[in-house]
Amino acid sequence: MAENLLEIKNLKKYFSTPRGMLHAVDNVSLNIEKGKTVGVVGESGCGKSTLGKTLMRLHEPTSGQVLFKGADIASMPLKEFKKNYRANIQMIFQDPYASLDPRMNVLQLVEEPIKTNNKNLSKAEVTAKAKEMMELVGLAKRLEGAYPHELDGGRRQRIGIARALSLNPEFIVCDEPVSALDVSIQAQILNLLQDLQDQRGLTYMFITHDMSVVKHISDDIVVMYLGQMIEKCPADEIFKHTIHPYSQALLSAIPIPDVHVKHERMVLKGELTSPINPKPCCRFAARCPYATKECFETEPQLRELKPNHVVACHHAEDFV
Amino acid sequence: MDENILDIEDLVVHYETEDEVVEAVNNIKLTMKKGEILGLVGETGAGKTTTALAIMGLLPERVGAIKKGKIKFEGENLLEKSKREMRAVRGKKISMIFQDPMTALNPVKTVGDQIAEVILLHDKCSKVEALKRAQDMLALVGIVPERYKDYPHQFSGGMKQRIVIAIALACEPDLLIADEPTTALDVTIQAQILDMMRALQKKNNTSTILITHDLGVVAEMCDHCAVMYAGEIVEYGTLEEIFDNPKHPYTKALYKSIPSLDKDVDRLHVIPGMVCDPSDLPSHCSFYDRCDEKCDACKLHDPLPYEIKDGHVVKCLKYQAREEE
Repeated sequence: MAENLLEIKNLKKYFSTPRGMLHAVDNVSLNIEKGKTVGVVGESGCGKSTLGKTLMRLHEPTSGQVLFKGADIASMPLKEFKKNYRANIQMIFQDPYASLDPRMNVLQLVEEPIKTNNKNLSKAEVTAKAKEMMELVGLAKRLEGAYPHELDGGRRQRIGIARALSLNPEFIVCDEPVSALDVSIQAQILNLLQDLQDQRGLTYMFITHDMSVVKHISDDIVVMYLGQMIEKCPADEIFKHTIHPYSQALLSAIPIPDVHVKHERMVLKGELTSPINPKPCCRFAARCPYATKECFETEPQLRELKPNHVVACHHAEDFV
Repeated sequence: MDENILDIEDLVVHYETEDEVVEAVNNIKLTMKKGEILGLVGETGAGKTTTALAIMGLLPERVGAIKKGKIKFEGENLLEKSKREMRAVRGKKISMIFQDPMTALNPVKTVGDQIAEVILLHDKCSKVEALKRAQDMLALVGIVPERYKDYPHQFSGGMKQRIVIAIALACEPDLLIADEPTTALDVTIQAQILDMMRALQKKNNTSTILITHDLGVVAEMCDHCAVMYAGEIVEYGTLEEIFDNPKHPYTKALYKSIPSLDKDVDRLHVIPGMVCDPSDLPSHCSFYDRCDEKCDACKLHDPLPYEIKDGHVVKCLKYQAREEE
């Protein structure tokens, strides 16, 4: 049995707003095995990115535990986390157009995290390491002096990957790394991420809203809705035997590039309800076509319906 | 026989700056029948939006220049019209849904006023009447009409896109150009918007050009499909032809690079290299460097569009040569 690299226990992140507490991440519990990829899907505003950033301590968690190799990285002093763990947990950001300093060239950008985290390295060593990283992610040597604005999205995203990898992390949060890219470039980046995982035994949390991408790259998939995890199962299971009505709707909404497949579409009415001070009921009930009185009154708990397949829905048995 | 609503002949659009000339659209030919939905697919920089802006007469002044060609709309060449005449066409006969609903709306005007603005400009009517029609438009796109007094920031992304669509449809245009109308939206909201666009299209029989990079959206919405690469239409045909019988190596590669929901593949197919620089296009086939079916002849000639089957046009030497043999 593979060991868990990361164990998330009842993690919560609330933001206080003038209108009340915004439940961005609400009671998420999740184990991530070493060398695996967990995909997190959901609509914008469901708390996917907040979950990723909270793991990185870019947001301070409200409560809950995050055990990284047994150590609780959520409650330790931030200083200690930065010193001992941040290098181990890295993030690839969503928008390669906004996440790079426009006034630094490629080499400087890749050198920066190495320099910050290894104070004892000489300048030559830092440069050598940065060059090694550039080669690893497929950035040509001639690009060393280029600035981000001269590069296309795919190359910029490679810089982001090189920066994240330069500290030899074991765990990487990939926050929509391919959403801003064209399909042909998207394929290059996805293949690169997979190759790096094979070579270095990396563990990924892959956040995206694109179901076909998540299916391609993940071992397990977590579906989030308004801050809560509502379904978790192995990747191929979700496409064959989805249980939660929201996951079903999410899947049926994807346009399929084939003219012969005519699938029944389940169009959801309305949009995400507000995550501010949610009532203790099923958060999806207002949009759910199968909602009953029970759904509006009590909050469903996560239940394991099949091995490795957990769902939070009162009527889950009916959809198996 | 149906008449063509749009006829684009040998259109060439360049962006000219001090340092370079960007050949954004090169010799495209396109015809559209009334009531048809045409999908225009391609990657960033393929010239999709430039084509749309050329039709609308909205190319950036000074920089963008139409070098050659005709854009015939209902028989009249739009390029010969004066600015004043174009203003009468734009919004009334041809209108456009812009890509990003977050920036396409004016943040300091109520949405009712923004819809009424188009109506007042084109149809002679009173302000009260225009606002009344604006409310009808809101109802049509599924927003409570009472919200016409609200400002854009009070709406969510999906609703803003509905408002942009309401503005575009307010004067019942004959041709609608939708530039990536759902790219900025979530899949569930995308499904709502596409359903709505399809219903409105059926109701008014509006001819639509749908610009997108999502082949799934094309498969669901369109009758015909044109694939653009480096400012050229490399393949054009009916939806069935393009999806079941793709011929151009680029179209084929595009299908292979999308992760599929029902098939398992270990590695995705990668189109090697990058899109060629539009300020430095080769004289031979522009897909040559990335093509996996190239031959020596490809480096010598720029292929001409060739009709391999009724209405299925491919711009690839492979098919052209076969015919000449």
